[in-house]
Amino acid sequence: MKFEIGKIKPMNTHIQNKKSIKKFLLTLLLFIFIFQISNLKSNEVFAQQITLSISPPLTEAVIKPGKSILVAYTVSNIGDPVVLSSGVRPFVPQGQFGDLIVEEEFSGPIRFNLENSNIKLSDSFFLPTRQGQQLLLKIRVPEGTPEGDYYYTFFVKNEPGNFLEGATSSQATAVVGSNILITVTESGLVDVQGGIGQFGVIPKYQLTFLGKKFSFFESTDTIPIVLVLNNKGKNLIKPYGTIDLKGNFGERAEFDLIPQNILSQSSRMVIATPSAQLSDVQSSVNLSGFFVGKYTLNTSLNFGIGTENLTSTMSFYAIPFKVIIATFVALAIGILLVKKIGKEE
Amino acid sequence: MIAKTLLKKIFFGLVVVFYTLFLIVYATPVYAQRINSSGYTIIFPNVNFSAGNPSSAGYDLSTTVGQLAAKQFSSSGYIVKAGFQYLHSIIPFTFSISDISIDLGSLTPDTPSTATTTLTVTFGGAGQYQVTAVEVGPLTTLSGGDTIPDTSCNGGAQTCTESSAHVWTSSTAYGFGYNMSGNDIPADFVNSTYYRPFADSTAPENPVTVMSNSNITESSISTVTFKANVSNIQPAGSYQTVIKFVATPSF
Repeated sequence: MKFEIGKIKPMNTHIQNKKSIKKFLLTLLLFIFIFQISNLKSNEVFAQQITLSISPPLTEAVIKPGKSILVAYTVSNIGDPVVLSSGVRPFVPQGQFGDLIVEEEFSGPIRFNLENSNIKLSDSFFLPTRQGQQLLLKIRVPEGTPEGDYYYTFFVKNEPGNFLEGATSSQATAVVGSNILITVTESGLVDVQGGIGQFGVIPKYQLTFLGKKFSFFESTDTIPIVLVLNNKGKNLIKPYGTIDLKGNFGERAEFDLIPQNILSQSSRMVIATPSAQLSDVQSSVNLSGFFVGKYTLNTSLNFGIGTENLTSTMSFYAIPFKVIIATFVALAIGILLVKKIGKEE
Repeated sequence: MIAKTLLKKIFFGLVVVFYTLFLIVYATPVYAQRINSSGYTIIFPNVNFSAGNPSSAGYDLSTTVGQLAAKQFSSSGYIVKAGFQYLHSIIPFTFSISDISIDLGSLTPDTPSTATTTLTVTFGGAGQYQVTAVEVGPLTTLSGGDTIPDTSCNGGAQTCTESSAHVWTSSTAYGFGYNMSGNDIPADFVNSTYYRPFADSTAPENPVTVMSNSNITESSISTVTFKANVSNIQPAGSYQTVIKFVATPSF
């Protein structure tokens, strides 16, 4: 009897196990089914992300009237599939920090067209995710174009999608641009009329004495230097030169100017390297260290081979206010302690 | 008396030691702040192997050997330089909008409705850029008959303009506007209650800068919050407009 029970028991266990596995599999299938349904439903509405890149970011060209050039741009789509179109608009520089405004309407004598066989300017084209499209932009300067500079932005933009039904909404259009700086010249010679507009420090403290302004800093302050260059000519120019710092204890430092473009009839604050604007203050270069005494800043620059060398000099003073105050406090405490101990004795 | 003299000596000794230590700690050489992040440091941001400006009577070609992205060539009658001549990055100028469909939903009178989208600019080491924004007309019904005007914020002393943000918290101040938060945004967006109306290209008004950086940029991210509030006399309907965000590198 015991033997029989012992024989039947494993069989029952086996059947029970089979049932459990069946139940588990059914539950699993049900979960997968529900997950798939909910997933399909959640995919019905999704945010469309646009991520576009353009290369090269800047094109500079010096062209004779009657000539044309071809520039190959690569547009890449890193976001969702998108319908794009391209175009060219003139831009005008704004302010001293390299800002610009792209105009809404095309103007100017320069002619642009795409040399791609299947895409024209302002035509729509589809770009799938993680795909790139080369756009061959032909820039033609017609005969008789007046000498001077012409500034344009070549851009691609996504076509706005459909508005949401029954809701107040707006559609965002992403426009990514690349600037084109064109100098038209017959002879190859350009009009260089650059000058120093401003050279100095942004002082933390300023003192006016006998009509002269003196700039002061605390010894541990970061010292922002500003160099603004003007271009009164009809062609863009680039500065080449340095900003030099000399201290009264023989310290010296030299910073090279980055040859950024200063467009025709505009001003620009140029940046010196190595530097970075780590503060809110817009500056050409930020000096940091421990400064004591009088320092002289000198800039020497030109706008290319054969152009006049321009110089400007200024000075500032650094005083260790914090050290002086700390010393006075320490002295005062020390004297008090000495006096107190002396009295006790 | 001896103790007093000793104390004085100790005190002045301490002052001398303090001064010496201070000078040792702080007397570092003068240097300019360097471009760096957790991911990189650029000491001299030009990574060419060589560079020069060869020229002849017929042409002028500036070469930058060793770069990957910027190229240039010359020929009779023209010179072309592609890319920044002083800085060459392999990361292209990239602009991203997280969601191009900004749904303000069904508007309820005196109850502001908001929606957000994120703008991202990536620019390797090549530096300066800007993003401008402009609306193609105010929020308008499909028939074009009714509009939700651009906001003036709370009005009075708290009136905002296309280029100057101000507080918009009143539920009886109506209109359509936006707030910015994150990197490289205009300083007048003091906090999330500060709004501006969009510049209107049909007015016509110039686009307004909403993100800019005149410095080296790796990745800048900002959030645009759109807000609309209507009165109970606003005609019913679906109001729509297009907002154009233009991202351009500097020159």
